[in-house]
Amino acid sequence: MEDKTKTLQREFLKVFEKLEVVLGWEPGYDSLHATPSFIRQAQDLNRLVWNPLCSQNLCTYLVKTLNASVREDDKKIGICVKGCDSRSLVALIQEKFVTRETLYIVGIPCEGTVDWRRLMRLEPSLKDVQEVHIEGNELDVETAQKTYRFPLQHVLEQRCLHCRYPNPIIYDLLIGELITPHASDDQAYGDIEKIEQYSLPDRLKFWEKELDRCIRCYACRNACPLCVCRDSCIAETRSPKWLAQRCDLKEKFFYHMIHAMHLAGRCTECGECERVCPVEIPVTLIKKKLNQIVKELLDYEAGIDPQKQPPLLTFDPSEKGI
Amino acid sequence: MVNSKEESTTKKDLLMVGFLCNWCSYGGADTAGVCRFNQPTDLRIIRIPCTGRMDPLFVVKALIYGADGVLVSGCHPKDCHYNKGNFYARRRLEVLKQFLPFMGIHTDRFRYTWVSSSEGQLWQQVVTEFSETIHGLGPNLGVHGESDAKAAMSFF
Amino acid sequence: MSEKIFIAQGELTAMLERLSKEMDVWVPVEMGDEKWGVRFLPYHRDNVVVLDRQSTISPKNVVFPQVETLLHFRYQKDDNDPSKQRIDLEDRQDVSSVLVFGARPCDVRGFLTFDQVFLNGRYKDPYYEQRRKKTLFATLLCDTEDSACFCSSVGSSPGDKEGSDLWMVSVDDGYVIEALNERGRKLIPLMGKQAAPEQIEKAQRIQEQVNSKRVGEGDLTQSAKDFTGRFTDMDYWRDMISKCISCGICTFVCPTCYCFNITDESRDLEGERLRSWDSCMFYHYTLEASGHNPRPEKFERYRNRVGHKFSYFPDKYNGMISCCGCGRCIRSCPVSIDIRRIVYQLKEAVDARV
Repeated sequence: MEDKTKTLQREFLKVFEKLEVVLGWEPGYDSLHATPSFIRQAQDLNRLVWNPLCSQNLCTYLVKTLNASVREDDKKIGICVKGCDSRSLVALIQEKFVTRETLYIVGIPCEGTVDWRRLMRLEPSLKDVQEVHIEGNELDVETAQKTYRFPLQHVLEQRCLHCRYPNPIIYDLLIGELITPHASDDQAYGDIEKIEQYSLPDRLKFWEKELDRCIRCYACRNACPLCVCRDSCIAETRSPKWLAQRCDLKEKFFYHMIHAMHLAGRCTECGECERVCPVEIPVTLIKKKLNQIVKELLDYEAGIDPQKQPPLLTFDPSEKGI
Repeated sequence: MVNSKEESTTKKDLLMVGFLCNWCSYGGADTAGVCRFNQPTDLRIIRIPCTGRMDPLFVVKALIYGADGVLVSGCHPKDCHYNKGNFYARRRLEVLKQFLPFMGIHTDRFRYTWVSSSEGQLWQQVVTEFSETIHGLGPNLGVHGESDAKAAMSFF
Repeated sequence: MSEKIFIAQGELTAMLERLSKEMDVWVPVEMGDEKWGVRFLPYHRDNVVVLDRQSTISPKNVVFPQVETLLHFRYQKDDNDPSKQRIDLEDRQDVSSVLVFGARPCDVRGFLTFDQVFLNGRYKDPYYEQRRKKTLFATLLCDTEDSACFCSSVGSSPGDKEGSDLWMVSVDDGYVIEALNERGRKLIPLMGKQAAPEQIEKAQRIQEQVNSKRVGEGDLTQSAKDFTGRFTDMDYWRDMISKCISCGICTFVCPTCYCFNITDESRDLEGERLRSWDSCMFYHYTLEASGHNPRPEKFERYRNRVGHKFSYFPDKYNGMISCCGCGRCIRSCPVSIDIRRIVYQLKEAVDARV
């Protein structure tokens, strides 16, 4: 199996003179973390890596940091995308936040990324990690002392367990072979169905308990590639004032409803919101439910076809059944 | 407004919020009044220019903060005063209606209908039915958590 | 000679029950089933107490709550003269005694930072003072450092007793606890029985080992000049901070971050004045009423965060760094920004790069 890290570095070097910046991942603060990398000089390209620790969705920077719809010269933005990230990219193109022509997209089929917290639960004393890679159905973690093997089901992020799009659906260059999805279409909403087995009062209790931990850091909103209102978000505006500063459950519950409903029909299930939450609230469930409704009612999934538009932003006069 | 669980179970007068579009439904409610149709009194009406103005979050805010029911009413589709407002509305509100039960809120606490300005009788029917549904469901206990302020304000 | 007692792991619950009859006890508790994170909550029988790792969010909530009501107000019409109104204010604070059980030296360092700001200046913050006076700390000697910890680099250590009232060392499937002051001594009878000499000796040895341990590389306490030198190097800040998503998690989990907002929340004739956590990472932090914002970009805001912790604060408070080296910001950051690296590299002169 060819080393994708080397391929990535080599391919970007080939086209670097046409690029203003390359968005990728580099090793993070320790050997169990990767961190996003903004490469502006060719000699820094050797910082790029690809491994199961590359969990961040880099599309979130396109609008919010790089203002990708406005390019002053002919240079493009190079970006690495996994399958889930590529859906976010298509969604941004659908809503005209970025233009396809300004991007040089390198797609990497992804077998899944590691949830550091789940790994720590299984093996809190992991030290001196040298390498992490996926071998078949297992995650191999090599330390100086021994190699640990974990079943993928136990260490991957929740979003990866339900992944139907491991292969990027938009790219200029594909690195690696195509991968079979972890979940089929009818398994996609298994986690939703689990909640729907609770009675109505129990569902409310579940959400009250989970959302009570929220500290309103807004990381879920900031990490979302499609939340582009940035500093004008209604969760923080004073006029009109939607949310009080008070940290009652009502405010937190309402904040999460706002966030989810503004993503209805637009969320691409990249799972970043849940990954970044410092208090581990399963927030993707709320958006996935809305996606399921939009899929069944309006036959639409965000981030698949660049030509389509999110249905809640449009209408159809001849629609029946509503 | 709901303050504690004990208070709410003895509440007799439930609080329902109605968002009515100015051109059709508000007129319809007016017609019902002029014709002196007998109606329940628990619906508090808020006038909006068009159901296209309806942000589903208005409904959510009302329900989370203790309203027992929310009713939205507008012109019939294809008859919108602004041509297309209610086309947008029906998609958004239908998605909301199917979404509420996932968060633990009964779907019948929210209803949306189309009532034109001459349909006074239909309006009376809608309000009566809705009020009966809500009384059947009982008071909305709202959302409570451990982080709720111990010294609650009287109106929260 | 301070008394040292021993409490076995299995007797902890009973001890916490005894203590909670006298005061509120805050303990580290798991976020939930199947979850890794830990946060401090008031002790409750059903909670699973977790002492084998650092909490995700610091316990600063105890003395500096995320939202605090400073006062209630209500407008009342004057019965005798309807054109006049009076305002009823109520600012009574009901603060009970609290024991923070199971914190670590880095958490307590946070409160020492807060004391400088809220108690030692020209104005004392009465709300903070009341809570602080009534809060005691039973702190664990820390032996669970990981790759994000760096307490030794900022002048502390895993064996740092400063600021605590009771000191706990894990020994023999239990804890040897000693009181460090009079307040702590009062609680000793409730906590356990006299420790055996071998247990005391073991605890002593562990303490000596830990005192000579260095957690974190290098020394970050002398970075003020380097910071000033690199203040205008926007390329540096852009390089380091492009990946920040301005979420504010770092400030919320940090034991030494103390910025706050004051807002009046009211409806009709009643309301409250609230103090709530603010974050220098948010755009609104420096947004002025005119609409002007002196720090519109996230690079400037993060530069301010580093400057405050490693330069402005030590300048003002006798060299004390407003960072305790707990590493929470590094661990919880969604994009793994490492503040250590940013501060270390301040040293490198601009032309030495490349």
